[in-house]
Amino acid sequence: MAVDLSPKMEAFTQEVFPAIIGTNRKDGSVEMVPVWFEQKDGSFWINGGTNRGWFKHLQRDPRITLLLLDPKDMFRWAQVEGKMVNWAEDPGGDHINQLSHRYLKHDYQNPRTGRIKVQIEPTRITGAIDGRR
Amino acid sequence: MADADQRVELPDAVRQLAQLPILTVVGTTRADGAVQMNPVWFEYRDGYIWLNSNTGRTWPKNVQRERGALLLLVDPKVPDRFAQIRCRLVETIPDPGHEQIDRLARRYTAHDFRALEPGEERITFQLEPLKVTGQEI
Repeated sequence: MAVDLSPKMEAFTQEVFPAIIGTNRKDGSVEMVPVWFEQKDGSFWINGGTNRGWFKHLQRDPRITLLLLDPKDMFRWAQVEGKMVNWAEDPGGDHINQLSHRYLKHDYQNPRTGRIKVQIEPTRITGAIDGRR
Repeated sequence: MADADQRVELPDAVRQLAQLPILTVVGTTRADGAVQMNPVWFEYRDGYIWLNSNTGRTWPKNVQRERGALLLLVDPKVPDRFAQIRCRLVETIPDPGHEQIDRLARRYTAHDFRALEPGEERITFQLEPLKVTGQEI
């Protein structure tokens, strides 16, 4: 079941740094990779090509964990466990362009074709921001 | 692709990242298979990666159950630059005198670790890098 973000988490997720996502490979082992993300209305959104390993993993096992870590203060972090509830094509790259503006303050410079956006619903939040280990 | 089962040296670029006082993200799976990630202190020394934890936390239990972990190092200046290090657990070493956590604390904070809490037990993990992958590194 989806959980709501606390006010502190709501503010933390508006800060600009990549999330590290963790997914399960076929053999059950973990893969981690930093990605751009945004949080809107309680859901986390990420974007990538359909050929990305993490997207293949999610189609097999929708569970995903995001680690949010303030690069300027290592004691500020949160772990968001969740699951992919939806994915859709990103025609024209509108979503990746929006993320590019969040992170780089300018239009996305790379090809905008063949991309998808993924919606993640949080199911458990732990870490230092909410003070729950 | 089969994972290697021999210890590898970290490539120079990864070794340079590992010298910085950045955290590594430890990726493990819980008993139900969900991915768990924790930012932790680490040290790369003598060809091994060393971590330390309070025995009560979940991630060290996962490391012991899985006999290994995946570690991620991200360049603090260039987030697209990262290394993923798949490791096998070589040994779990008790740290009753807290020398090992003090050593790690000095690497990050320039002073010894806080006083241990009553009943707090610490352990050190010696991890052997088996495979290094990454991006722009």
